[in-house]
Formats: sequence, C-alpha cells, structure tokens
Amino acid sequence: MNGALELPGDVKDRIRELQELEKRVEAGEEGARRELRRAVRESTPMVIARCADVSGKSRGMLSEAVSGGRPLIKEALEAKAEAMRSEIAGEDPTPLELLLAEDITNQWLVQEMLGAFYAGQFQRREHKGESEHKGATISGIAFLLKFLLKMQESAHRRYLAAIRELARVRKLQAGAPAVQVNTQVNILGSG
Amino acid sequence: MAWEERGGRLYYYRSVRDGERVKKEYLGRGELAETIAHADETIRRHREERRAQEMAEGEILEDLVAPALEVREAARVLARASIVAAGYHRHRGEYRRERGA
Repeated sequence: MNGALELPGDVKDRIRELQELEKRVEAGEEGARRELRRAVRESTPMVIARCADVSGKSRGMLSEAVSGGRPLIKEALEAKAEAMRSEIAGEDPTPLELLLAEDITNQWLVQEMLGAFYAGQFQRREHKGESEHKGATISGIAFLLKFLLKMQESAHRRYLAAIRELARVRKLQAGAPAVQVNTQVNILGSG
Repeated sequence: MAWEERGGRLYYYRSVRDGERVKKEYLGRGELAETIAHADETIRRHREERRAQEMAEGEILEDLVAPALEVREAARVLARASIVAAGYHRHRGEYRRERGA
C-alpha cells in the first residue's frame, strides 16, 4: 500500500463506525437509526473531503501510469476523466453523488490502466521474444495473464457496483427526505 | 532436474510434464549431459527472475489501484449508511422504505 495515499486513520474509524451502526439498524436495535443519522450527518463532510483529496491524487497517478510518462496523453486522460466525472455527477449534485461520480471515474481509470499495462506487456514480450526460450515466455505470459485478468475482472465488478450505487442513491433520494449535509469539496484536477 | 547417482556414476535426469503426469527423462552423463544441465539451469534461473520481476510489477499495480479501492469502500459504506439513515432497510438485496420511518 502506498503510505502517502491512504485515507487517514480518523476517516477509516468513521467508516467503521458507520458500518457498525448500519449493522445495528439492520438488526433492529432501538435508537440505532437515530444514531446512524447523526453519524452520517457528522461524518459525511469529513469523509467526502478526504476521499476527494485521495481520489484526485489517485487519478493523477493512474493517468500517469496509463500515459507511460507521455504528457499529452496524461493531460488528455485527465481531461476525459474530469469531463466524465462532472457529466456523471450532473447539475447540482449532492456531496454523496459527487463522491460516487468520482468513484465511478476512478474505477474506469483503473480499468484503462490495467488495459494499457496488459497491452504493454504483450508488446514488450513480442519485442524481446526472439531471444527468449519459448517455454519461459509461455509460462511467463500464463502467470501474468492470470494475474491481470483477475485484476481486470475485479476492476470491472467494482466499476459496475459503483454505477449501481449511484443509481440507487439517486432513486432512493427521490423518494425520501435526504440527510442534510453542508460541505465544501475542493476537487483537485489531478493532484 | 537432477543428477542421480547410479553405481558410483552421476546421470542427468530431467522432469518433463506429459499432460497431468510428470515423467523423468534420462539424458545420460558426460559432456553432452553437462551442457544440457547447464542450459536447463540457465532457463530455470531466467524463469525465476522473470517471475520475481512480474511479481514486483504486480505489486506496483496493486499499489496504484489501492487508493481507488479505499475510496470505493468509503463511498460504498457512506452510500449504504445514508440510505439506511434515510429510513430504508435491505430486503433480499433491495432497499425498502421502513414503515413509519
């Protein structure tokens, strides 16, 4: 794990607290929903702000990895990710919608990065292939393929889950009084 | 791949996969066997180096993905908590409005 790009400990604690409270509400504990409402109200601005910070920097790192150090491609990717994020968030998004839009964009970028890495590996192998022992090349590709395919599958699942989550939040927000959250989120272009 | 002693002499054998079975292939002794053994050893070392390099690349990829995973988890928890706080409960994977919530 990249130590510099982790959510801070207090944010992780809040997330754990929300998870616990949600479980207590689901278990039918009296008063737990009221407590959860309070926790959501208090935690949301801080969690979203920190996530936006980590997310912006993460997007920068992923774009850099996809571009392979070519500044024009990095810039184009960042612009596309930004356009995607604001289009998904829509007009006047709630902070939660903004976070989910950000999440969807990140997951898309992760897929792009894995795809670029995958293609790059094959290109590199083709280039070096002649001087290598055939057996070693085949076993190397099998190992890498397995690993990358697994990562790509997980990334795709997460991408779809993030889209579903945003759709669900929007659908349910339309039918319920939303939890009032006032927060200012400063989104960095790429970190 | 190994040298095996038979009657005080060393003979070179190599393991070869045949479908699900692994067979031992006899390559004899002497200069030719030594050359083959040396080549096998070079290939084995090359594979190990490649595997180590790929594992290191895999770790770099995991590090790159890790922050996005953390944000994913936070977003997931916050979304679910907000939905439940707003008076819904999960029923067979779907959210339903709680009565009187």
